[in-house]
Amino acid sequence: MAGNAVQRQTVHSLRETIARIEDRGVPRSVRSAKAADPAGFRRGKEEAACRKVLPLGVPQFDEVLQGGLPLEGMMEIRNAETRDAGAAAGFVAALAVLYQRQKKENGRLAPVLWISQTLAACEAGQPYAPGLKTYGLDAERFLFVSARTVKDALWIAETALSVPVFAVVVLEIRGNPACLALSESRRLHVRARAGGVPLLVLRQAGEEEASSAFFRLQVKPAPAGERPLPDGSVLCGSIGHPAFHLLVEKSRRQASDDIFLEWNAHDRRFYSLDERRSAALQTNDEPTDPVDPLSASAGRSRRAQPMGRLLAFARAS
Amino acid sequence: MRLVALDTFAERIGLKRGQGAAEARAMCPSLDVIAADPAADQAFLEALADWCDRYTPLVALDGTDGLFLDITGCAHLHGGEKALISDVLSRLFSLGVEARATVSSAAGLSWAVTRYGDADVIAPGDGDPVLAPLPVAALRLPADTAAALERVGLKQIGDLLEAPRAPLARRFGSSLLLRLDQARGFEDEPLSPRLPVPSFSAERRLAEPLQDEEYILELTRHLARDVRSSLERHGEGGRLFELLLFRVDGRVFRVRAQAAVPLNDAVRIAALFRERLQAVHDDLDAGYGFEIVRLSVLRSERLDPAQQDFSGAPDESQPLAAFVDKVSARFGPGCLMQATLAESHLPERAGGFAAVTDVAAVLRMPALEEKAFPENRPLRIFAHPEPVEATAEVPEGAPRSFNWRKTRYRVARAEGPERIAAEWWIDGESHPTRDYFRIEDQEGRRFWLFREGLYGRETASPRWFMHGVFA
Repeated sequence: MAGNAVQRQTVHSLRETIARIEDRGVPRSVRSAKAADPAGFRRGKEEAACRKVLPLGVPQFDEVLQGGLPLEGMMEIRNAETRDAGAAAGFVAALAVLYQRQKKENGRLAPVLWISQTLAACEAGQPYAPGLKTYGLDAERFLFVSARTVKDALWIAETALSVPVFAVVVLEIRGNPACLALSESRRLHVRARAGGVPLLVLRQAGEEEASSAFFRLQVKPAPAGERPLPDGSVLCGSIGHPAFHLLVEKSRRQASDDIFLEWNAHDRRFYSLDERRSAALQTNDEPTDPVDPLSASAGRSRRAQPMGRLLAFARAS
Repeated sequence: MRLVALDTFAERIGLKRGQGAAEARAMCPSLDVIAADPAADQAFLEALADWCDRYTPLVALDGTDGLFLDITGCAHLHGGEKALISDVLSRLFSLGVEARATVSSAAGLSWAVTRYGDADVIAPGDGDPVLAPLPVAALRLPADTAAALERVGLKQIGDLLEAPRAPLARRFGSSLLLRLDQARGFEDEPLSPRLPVPSFSAERRLAEPLQDEEYILELTRHLARDVRSSLERHGEGGRLFELLLFRVDGRVFRVRAQAAVPLNDAVRIAALFRERLQAVHDDLDAGYGFEIVRLSVLRSERLDPAQQDFSGAPDESQPLAAFVDKVSARFGPGCLMQATLAESHLPERAGGFAAVTDVAAVLRMPALEEKAFPENRPLRIFAHPEPVEATAEVPEGAPRSFNWRKTRYRVARAEGPERIAAEWWIDGESHPTRDYFRIEDQEGRRFWLFREGLYGRETASPRWFMHGVFA
């Protein structure tokens, strides 16, 4: 009898260790075991293990993000081609707005630090302050660093993550440099979690590559809606709020579908593009006049592979 | 080719300055002639002036071959004037420099005796007997004045000392009397030091030269502690620090580090130099080691001591300032930039980046008025608008399709034009007007294109440019 209990406890503690390694909430079986066996576990730890998140208000997206945007740790956002850099930068800037607003609600004016490899800023353009301002960002608190090499950028990012001031640190890297591999991303992720600062890695024109980020999303451009008029109709032929097409490439929850979001700068929040439109977008796959992509990722279908089959990617760099 | 400088041996065999090189070669066939390099001479003199910083911070250059050292209040630190002068000369001798030096109460007197006399220390009041036998050229006179004086038989300074002043001034101008008074110490002569004197500094002279960077940093922390006490006494904090490293072979390295906020904390000051030394690592060759290390505060500002409140909430500008310092020490002060907004119609002038100057303002500055900026501005902008080939309706229509970076884009929707005229008060009146279009292509990418110039009025074939991308 006693031996059985010891065995069970060993199994539970192992499960808890695995859960901790996988950085997941404690599984239900362990939780129920804890409830049944109050002597065996400390209760305070379970609450501490819960990740701090910032819900976005879009149920489909929140589900994928397991509750919301992580408030500490690393998240990777990539785009496949340089010409999609606008969409990716827009999505990252929108997240930065959300992070900044969350800090403001807690009574702090927090700056956003945008670290960009010089090459990336040359290829896809520099962030533009008036544009960021109309996008909802507090442009007075937007700090920009142009780092000559990837190593410099990594050094600055690592230094910034230990400063508990920034609302979010954005690290913009072009392609898949060899000096930002799995171990480096792990280091940044750990630093970001220790410092309690969210880190967004914006990988411009890069392949998907194994990293330690909580989530990896691919951002593609999506046709925007039309400008709404005061009487409820829309202005035909106008370009409304920016829209994004997200492919979830890494998440603990399997993404069932592509996600279409719309950023409303006025409300400073995301809305889901209405289902009818997103369905139409998904079926209308082939454009009437297809454009040859310059750097198509080889051997990949349009959508991300379902999760769970492939364990690790080969180094793309 | 003429000779401009000679060594002692060449002087002994009778060569003179200004002599032709061919003539000198005829006198001495084995003559070794080296082309003069005034820039290198000047650099060497400045390096020597740096080296002389070990005696006094007030070092002034004198022409191409002399240095003035103002040792007021410094001599006792080196064991008196006599000891100081012999220390300077012996060290310079071991560096391979032939030098002469004189200590006196007037710069003009020192100049005259160094070049024409042979005394080393002249006590105040003993100037006239030393000066009297020297030639009038020792007064730093223009060549024609000196020649005129010699023509009338006033060959030595002693002759001038006894002559009545009024006729001298009438005949040779007031500069002669000024120079004479300067040499005698009656007229004050300001020296202009090469470098501003730091308001606070601390130095350490080492018996054993230092080579290791870690030790230098450790020593910097000790020095920073010394500087801190004087900074605190004045209620100031340093903004610009300089670390002077005197290498044993006479080379002097200056490493500057800037702080984002006034600092007096020894650890923070040492941390600045930790990054700075990393950045200049390759240029800082320790060689046989550094014998003197000095930390100076070149610029300081008022620093009000802040008391932490009872809530224990940390001051947020401190960690941010430390971060700014760390990054700028490593990558240069302009590396970390802050978004700036300006009232301008031209997009490239309306927004830009400037180096972070006031860290506290980053955290506290209120947001500007929202309405000042138009709605439709891109998130990213190209520093130089990229030319595109566009097919558009004439004269003012939106493009139907365009080629950008060798790819063809078909326009699905377009908004515009937004006409932005050039700012004639800056660019002049002939600068073309731009018509901006917000464009969405068939896959949903949104771009900002403009046509430069109006059809007919400004140009016959306007060009199109890609200026930015939207989210």
